[in-house]
Amino acid sequence: MELSADYLREKLQRDLEAEHVEVEDTTPGRCATSFRVLVVSAKFEGKPLLHRHRLVNASLSEELPHIHAFEQKTLTPDQWAREQQK
Amino acid sequence: MGRNGEAPQVARMHAINARLKLALGGPKGKSGKRLVDRGRLEAEAVPEVSEKYEISSVPTFLFFKNSQKIDQLDGAHAPELTKKVQRHASSGSFPPSANEHLKEDLNLRLKKLTHAAPCMLFMKGTPQEPRCGFSKQMVEILQKHNIQFSSFDIFSDEEVRQGLKTYSNWPTYPQLYVSGELIGGLDIIKELEASEELDTICPKAPKLEESVDYETFDILEDEEVRQGLKAYSNWPTYPQLYVKGELVGGLDIVKVRPFFIHCPQH
Repeated sequence: MELSADYLREKLQRDLEAEHVEVEDTTPGRCATSFRVLVVSAKFEGKPLLHRHRLVNASLSEELPHIHAFEQKTLTPDQWAREQQK
Repeated sequence: MGRNGEAPQVARMHAINARLKLALGGPKGKSGKRLVDRGRLEAEAVPEVSEKYEISSVPTFLFFKNSQKIDQLDGAHAPELTKKVQRHASSGSFPPSANEHLKEDLNLRLKKLTHAAPCMLFMKGTPQEPRCGFSKQMVEILQKHNIQFSSFDIFSDEEVRQGLKTYSNWPTYPQLYVSGELIGGLDIIKELEASEELDTICPKAPKLEESVDYETFDILEDEEVRQGLKAYSNWPTYPQLYVKGELVGGLDIVKVRPFFIHCPQH
């Protein structure tokens, strides 16, 4: 199992049928492996934040124990469209 | 910078090693071996060990008793290390057969802990001394919104630290609970803040500036009162806040756990 930004991006895209995924390796400047992700998926519609984050956690359940710090942002396609307009 | 212009991390490790030497200078057993001893591993040199114990940052201290891992400390925190060494060196041995009983006890304990206050924050460190950037940010947001919360330092208890992750099926800290239910981590709290839902979900602390009526006494004006009050209330420092003649506490207490429901209002 390889912990690269590309690997995580592909996995999230697949598991969450995501419209858009961004994965940033934030390890430089931290003491250990860290990532920040943005996932845009229709699967998040109608789901409260905690539930959305659990979906992401489930997708990366094998990888998360090896990641020291993990930040995530989860948006529906509508929210993402609105954000891009700002 | 430490001695000889070392980086702060190196200076901290020197302090840690000095404290370890002191803490371990204890009695020897019948075989002549030390009852409490230490070893050192280069995490990168033994990847299978690092993987087994899920070492994700250095330094990490693992505590073993009767060949079982019983505790862990992440980071170079000398006072915490000394405390843990002393605690484990003095406690009795751990009965391995009591596992099922312990699991039930743990779940009950976690249930009580998450319900300990209307709003509970499980974090790394304390609100006054956070030991992680994310925990620090979480505390700042809660304080900015004047949210009343109690906190638990997950570094102080390895059993809770690991147990809570399983109990709530949530892999990271900090974790914020309201009425015993997990709200989420920092990301979620940030999003709730942005969507202005935070104020509806979390209990507020009454505001100081708006409502409390108070008188003051300048202890620099009267040395007799200044010293006498410390003895009278058995409290060593100033400022001191009293409500109806009873000591509420100093700045730390007032900041983290406002008692203003007891204070006279306008």
